[in-house]
Amino acid sequence: MADITEVSKQKSGTFSDRQKDIIQKFAALGSLFVLIGVFSATSSAFFTIDNGMTVALQVTSIAFLGIGATCVIITGGIDLSVGSVLALSGVVAALAVKDFGTPVWLGMICGILTGSACGYINGILVTQMKLPPFIATLGMMLIARGVALQITGARAVSGLGESFGELGNGSLFRVVTIGDDGFPTIVFPGIPYPVILMIAIAIAVSYMLNRSVLGRHIYAVGSNADAARLSGVNVARIVSFTYVLSGTLAGLTGCVLMSRLVTAQPNEGVMYELDAIASAVIGGTSLIGGVGTISGTAIGAFVIGILRNGLNMNGVSAFTQQIIIGLVILVTVWIDQLRNRR
Amino acid sequence: MENRPAELGQTMHGAAMLPGRAASASNTQPLLRLDNISKDFPGVKALANVHFDLRRGEVHAVCGENGAGKSTLMKIVSGVYQPSAGTITYKGEERHFSSTRESEAAGIAIIHQELNLVPHLTVAENIYLAREPRRGFLGGSFLVDRKKLRADAKRCLDRLGVDINPDRPVRGLSVAQCQMVEIAKALSLDAEVLIMDEPTSSLTEQETRLLFKVIRDLKASGVGIVYISHRLDEMSEIVDRVTVLRDGRYIATDDFVATSIDAIVSKMVGRSLEEKFPERTSVPSDEVIFSAQGLSRAGVFRDISFTLRRGEILGFAGLMGAGRTEVARAIFGADPLDTGTVTLHGHTLTITSPRDAITAGIAYLSEDRKAQGLAVKMPVDVNMTLANMEAVSNRFGLIDFAKHARATKEYIDLLNIRTPSIKQPVRLLSGGNQQKIIIGKWLFRKSKILFFDEPTRGIDVGAKLAIYRIMDELAANGIGVVLISSELPEILGMTDRVAVFHQGRITGVLETAKTDQEEIMRYASGYARSAG
Repeated sequence: MADITEVSKQKSGTFSDRQKDIIQKFAALGSLFVLIGVFSATSSAFFTIDNGMTVALQVTSIAFLGIGATCVIITGGIDLSVGSVLALSGVVAALAVKDFGTPVWLGMICGILTGSACGYINGILVTQMKLPPFIATLGMMLIARGVALQITGARAVSGLGESFGELGNGSLFRVVTIGDDGFPTIVFPGIPYPVILMIAIAIAVSYMLNRSVLGRHIYAVGSNADAARLSGVNVARIVSFTYVLSGTLAGLTGCVLMSRLVTAQPNEGVMYELDAIASAVIGGTSLIGGVGTISGTAIGAFVIGILRNGLNMNGVSAFTQQIIIGLVILVTVWIDQLRNRR
Repeated sequence: MENRPAELGQTMHGAAMLPGRAASASNTQPLLRLDNISKDFPGVKALANVHFDLRRGEVHAVCGENGAGKSTLMKIVSGVYQPSAGTITYKGEERHFSSTRESEAAGIAIIHQELNLVPHLTVAENIYLAREPRRGFLGGSFLVDRKKLRADAKRCLDRLGVDINPDRPVRGLSVAQCQMVEIAKALSLDAEVLIMDEPTSSLTEQETRLLFKVIRDLKASGVGIVYISHRLDEMSEIVDRVTVLRDGRYIATDDFVATSIDAIVSKMVGRSLEEKFPERTSVPSDEVIFSAQGLSRAGVFRDISFTLRRGEILGFAGLMGAGRTEVARAIFGADPLDTGTVTLHGHTLTITSPRDAITAGIAYLSEDRKAQGLAVKMPVDVNMTLANMEAVSNRFGLIDFAKHARATKEYIDLLNIRTPSIKQPVRLLSGGNQQKIIIGKWLFRKSKILFFDEPTRGIDVGAKLAIYRIMDELAANGIGVVLISSELPEILGMTDRVAVFHQGRITGVLETAKTDQEEIMRYASGYARSAG
């Protein structure tokens, strides 16, 4: 009897977590639509298929990294190394192709595995050597960047051949007709491969988090690591997995980015880790752990991508863009806090 | 520097005045008086027309089950909440406290169950946190007067008669010592009303006795104390009057000597509770289902051996820190074990992690439910199945949600867990229901032996009985039950045999039916010893 009054008190006094979750998601989604509306009104070139694909393509790197960041943050960790790891991975892929003459696909796999290896080391630092994730991945951030600069002599790796650019620049369902005058007309620009990869990975990771035992354990570890351990969850393995996933996705991001440029830049990806964390946070992931969704992070990534794209089209300077994105992060998280407090 | 003598004088004056106040207090005018207090939260009435009054120099207990409104009432007194209706009269004046700062300034201090100290600061710094004595420097006064801070803190601690070095960091102190620091802090505020929420819930017998002595001293100096506790048995030592709340309503206020614990309990639950412990239905057999031989862990426990028979409930009694929890945790693989063997159903086990123990069929229910037992933000179903995800997933590691929900519902029904849905986050459930979810988790794992560590701590009377019944049923069904408890009545009421711990060793294994509190205490304090 006392139990019931207590429960009903809590229930009527506040929203349930599920309701809060939905509100949070629609708040982010709502602001996304507002942004699209505003930019469509201010720039006629904004709401077009071409620009849509451009935005989607630009968003892919934030989204890849954001998906990894979400998993890490759900366990209560953080991964600051992804920006550097993606540079190292891209450089490794390019050097494998250029200096060792491996086929492009094999070079790319080398690059992605480099990312996984960095993530694996992060996992060991956090779970075995018990370093705080912030410190462990800060170290990895410096080391990976240093190695990338070292092995390239701080120079861009170019002359990789057209096939190296296929992953980043190719697209599916591209429809081109040759007109009477002999010039090609692009009927549909096609869906870039990175966008397809992004959708596939987002769905796969989301499925993993929601439907699999592994995903359940990731949330449980983030919610209460002690309780999870005493329930038989292999906490170290779960935490390590999230860092490996984050590193692997950083590796993939590196390969995609370098492929788009058909040049490997050891200086690529500086501060990308912050975009990744920002997209997760805008999407409702809690830095305390235990809370976060891939759909939220995808929305967060698009909020950042569309803001950049739309502000560019409206001729807003890069400096002002930073200010605005900074404000967006603060306001979204503040609204989230207000909701959680009530 | 100038203000130092003045403040010092004031403190001395205040301390000296206290007995005087007590003497001049007339019995007709209470120190604190609440009339018709109501508090509405959106959609629910947490308190309805509650009365309460506190005299100088008395200990007034507030009793009620979880959710009865005790905490809400105290939060209103201390200014955390504002009442929706009703009046607060303090020292003859009607007052409104809009923050704890205001109530503290008026002389009302509250000591929460979860102590609020800063671990890295010293005892003295904690006592005067945010009220540090200043001294002048470069025309301002932004420097802490460390000498005065130390001296003032020492005076507060001395007045309590406790020996705590004011320069020690709080981090290394025991819970009891932290509590004394909190009380010293209240004294430093010249508190005339002291509210204590579950002060003894994590103290040993000895520490409790010291606390009671301090409370009696405070009482004698005219401080009015509001005492909130689940442990009714110890109230007779200090409590003068008792007010009972139930479901946010005022039930009664009685002189403690004019009532009985049974009467208080029946007012709390709204019916007469004829029994505190259920009739034991399980019958111990001779078949040993679990045995531990020579378990040791350097510096923690030594040479621990015991057996558990089918149908039996074995108690672990002893003072806090005697090694009971540590032994259970080591058997469970949560802490390392140096030597010793553990045998379950005739198989000798090698356990290096909780995973091993769980696979073998051992379960440990932590004394700290929220920190170690539950993922409190997550819903009921997630917690219920966490230890046995294999049973609700396919071979690809994908969860079968239909099975998942079925399993959760089965144990909700079996254990009579009250929750609006299987998706309710467990932090919104009562302590009793949370404990049942943990039990459900281990039953779903088909555990063969369960170590219950303080399973009824912070759980209200009605729910306790339900937990005891479950323990009895488990034993009757051949599941091993070990009950670790600091409450001797619980040990005596529920177990068949009791292993008594003293400083990391078992000093005796007693037949519960043939022993009593005094004998167990003799073994627990190391005065008596027998071959286990």
